[in-house]
Amino acid sequence: MSDNILEIKDLVVHFETDDGVVHAINGLDISIPREKTLGLVGETGAGKTTTALSVLNLVPNPPGKIKSGSILLDGKDVLQMSDSELEAMRGNDVAMIFQDPMTALNPVMTIGDQIAESIELHQHISAKESFEKAKELLKMVGIAENRAYDYPHQFSGGMRQRAVIAIALACEPKLLLADEPTTALDVTIQAQVLTLMKDLIDRRHMSMLLITHDLGVVAETCDDVAVMYAGRIVEIGTADEVFNATRHPYTEGLFNSLPNLHERGEELIPIKGLMPDPMDLPQGCAFAPRCSYATEACTKAVPELRTMGGTHYVACSAYDNPSFCLRRNANG
Amino acid sequence: MAEKQNKVLLEVDHLTKYFNTPRGPLHAVDGVSFTIEEGKTLGIVGESGCGKSTTGRTIIKLLEPTGGKILFEGQDITGYSRSRMRKLRTEMTMIFQDPFSSLDPRQSVMQLISEPIREHHLLHGKEAIARRTLELMDIVGLARRFVNSYPHELDGGRRQRIGIARALAVNPKLVVCDEPVSALDVSIQAQILNLLKQLQKDIGLTYIFITHDLSVVKYFSDDIAVMYLGQMVEKANSDELFARPLHPYTQALLSAIPIPVVGGDKKPRKLIRGEITSPVNLPDQCRFLKRCDECQKQCESAKNPELREMTPGHFVACHCVN
Repeated sequence: MSDNILEIKDLVVHFETDDGVVHAINGLDISIPREKTLGLVGETGAGKTTTALSVLNLVPNPPGKIKSGSILLDGKDVLQMSDSELEAMRGNDVAMIFQDPMTALNPVMTIGDQIAESIELHQHISAKESFEKAKELLKMVGIAENRAYDYPHQFSGGMRQRAVIAIALACEPKLLLADEPTTALDVTIQAQVLTLMKDLIDRRHMSMLLITHDLGVVAETCDDVAVMYAGRIVEIGTADEVFNATRHPYTEGLFNSLPNLHERGEELIPIKGLMPDPMDLPQGCAFAPRCSYATEACTKAVPELRTMGGTHYVACSAYDNPSFCLRRNANG
Repeated sequence: MAEKQNKVLLEVDHLTKYFNTPRGPLHAVDGVSFTIEEGKTLGIVGESGCGKSTTGRTIIKLLEPTGGKILFEGQDITGYSRSRMRKLRTEMTMIFQDPFSSLDPRQSVMQLISEPIREHHLLHGKEAIARRTLELMDIVGLARRFVNSYPHELDGGRRQRIGIARALAVNPKLVVCDEPVSALDVSIQAQILNLLKQLQKDIGLTYIFITHDLSVVKYFSDDIAVMYLGQMVEKANSDELFARPLHPYTQALLSAIPIPVVGGDKKPRKLIRGEITSPVNLPDQCRFLKRCDECQKQCESAKNPELREMTPGHFVACHCVN
């Protein structure tokens, strides 16, 4: 058995639309060790959600097409599975939590029934037993049992997301895909939900892929971090490596854009320009047009991930020059 | 040299706004008071449902206040009729949160930005209006080639720049920014925040900055007011508030911000229990009572606490702070 619960190798996903081909994911490699949490960070349109959907083989087709690559879940390739194998895998082995808990829940079904539904479907036990189990799950996520008879509109945003977590954990999956699980919530509720998720994952020895744009959330919850840009991983390593020994200019740019809680008033350093159109990606490194370190060489070839020592990898050709160093690191 | 005393631009005194619901009055804003000097920024923070947006909208009278007073440049505008307010609409404007739904999808950038100029007859003649529109596009950093584009062709950051240009088109003194960067990615968020700050430096705008994001508000504001269930629970200078938060709610709010730092000494999180309670039919006692860890016996029997000045300029509404 492999040490990694999830191994994605050289994944390419295109959306073939009438206007042209959207290059959503262009050769993605990530792996998540057992019982670890990987944070996947990037801006809107970087391909984070498509990555998660690919793991479940749920990329909408058409227009989406998984062109090549392999996704090994517990050693088995998701992309080679039959429909019935996929059905057995979804929910049982892998579960997903979506960003917006209101649209993820069925408005005309009670919360208890919705949780029970997935238990009944996957574990083949009676409706009554599943409903009892659903109540237990609600208690586990901090909601009183009698609320199982309520409908989603009677729940607040934070409670809805707790209910969604209960559904996701109902069949004790090995891997949880969480797509911006707390983005729609207030900070105080976000703190509660993140603490709950971390606790449940630790206790059940699960692994998690946490998709977020919030570097703060990553720092609080993740063991490893992967930074994604235009469908590729540009930097990956342990949280300590990526946060404290940042290597990629894009990652540096993300940190510089954040308002600093400790020093006020100084001007923020935004990343100039915009994310490239995934229908018309630039030649070479996709970040080169926005990069303040870019040289001509950057526009020629797509940089490969290279090791910076240990588990820290970066895709930037500036490191061809052994003395290259980001400004963030140069000043200590 | 004596410190220059700035002119007070806006004074809000015990502003209230109730909405009638079948279950009783909903206290959206309940006795909020503050003043803002010209060229300064007041940040209003709080969770969803605390009444921060309603406060912003009531101040510029997009909503009729239920009670209290609003003084703009010394004149009491609380009772102004719609037609009298119309003249003031060039002095106070608003930037909205969602640049996707706040722009008419069938108007081009030129039409969108020039609309307030035409509406208020600020300039006459097609050419003059077009020149001013292009000038506004330069000011907000929107390339002139987009002048004939439509909102759906532009990304969120550029759309928000249109929203800012529209707000600036009337040469306002006061701009109410309601979550202006919440819908944007961090790298774009930084561009917009820098722009707003630069505009304040250049034209001396006064901002009310409404947000749930405490790191943004600290970067942006001179003073910060923390709201909970329609009331102001703490108000202080920005640095002071972050250095010495007094109200248990402010403390919890600050400690809930995820900090993008790995390793080093991190203070343990102070989680607050439960969620914001219903703003309908509120009893006359501290509104944070049920979620508060500091809460002592006296709070349960005491009335709703008033704002008290603890140190100069630092106000807090809590029975337990001494």
